[in-house]
Amino acid sequence: MRSLDQYPMNTPSTESLSVTVDTEITAPGRIPGNSGIWVGIFCVLVEFLLLFIVYFIAKAHNPEAFSTGPDKLITSAGTTITILLLTSGYCMVKAVSAIRSDQRKASLRWTIMAILLGFGYPIVKYFEIRWNVAHGIHGETGVFYTVYYYLTLTHLVHVSWGLMGLIWIALRTGVGAYSSKNYSGLEAAALYWHTTDVIWLVIFSFFYILR
Amino acid sequence: MIGHTERIWLMLIGLTFLGALIGERGQAGWLLTLTVAVLIALKGSIVIDHYMEMRSANQRIRGILRLFITLIPMLVIFFYGWGEDIRRLTTLN
Repeated sequence: MRSLDQYPMNTPSTESLSVTVDTEITAPGRIPGNSGIWVGIFCVLVEFLLLFIVYFIAKAHNPEAFSTGPDKLITSAGTTITILLLTSGYCMVKAVSAIRSDQRKASLRWTIMAILLGFGYPIVKYFEIRWNVAHGIHGETGVFYTVYYYLTLTHLVHVSWGLMGLIWIALRTGVGAYSSKNYSGLEAAALYWHTTDVIWLVIFSFFYILR
Repeated sequence: MIGHTERIWLMLIGLTFLGALIGERGQAGWLLTLTVAVLIALKGSIVIDHYMEMRSANQRIRGILRLFITLIPMLVIFFYGWGEDIRRLTTLN
């Protein structure tokens, strides 16, 4: 069995690559970012898979609470967070695309935009929780809300790490650390950021849509 | 001009609003459960294949991500359909 290190990384200068108009690299077997970020991403996926199983088991034991629970939550808050994260993710796609064309300033601008949109998430969350508490919805209101707070706040912690990563790569892009020949750090941070998107899409569906 | 990435973003936003609409009006039942399962699989797959560019990447990594985003909707359906059995199996006394 081949180890991850034996698969090619994003080293376009040494690979025979085809680059599309959107500068998506198509090299079979390529590991986007770096091996390390994938270890982290798979750990996060396993962590949330376990938390989702907790959600399912709690739901199986309390179908009534999980059927009526979403009615008291603000769907627009969840929707706004989803739009912020998806748009921030779009900005990171553009940032990676720009650095592949050696457009460092454009890449930096897209990364900063992604960070600003990403910071919208904790702001919306703050107002959502404030509204919840004002309306008597806190961690001990019922099992649905306990699971809701636990999962969404755990996700918020991961988003905070992602934001710190994005700030770091923005600084590195600003000092010219990345180029079309070396951008694995930037791409790794973008991949982690997209992973938080994927997990939020599930959380949004579980707590704001599903009954 | 709207490029590929913009079309993908618009599709994700459209699906998000569709989900929000269903969330506001949906009633518990098989229809809502199946719709949510499809929405999770669809949106997750779009992010994995287009934002993360997994279509053309290492197939083992793509496989793990696809497994995750396929397993969750399957669990949604499984736990809805067999909730009573799961409850019995996970009761300690």
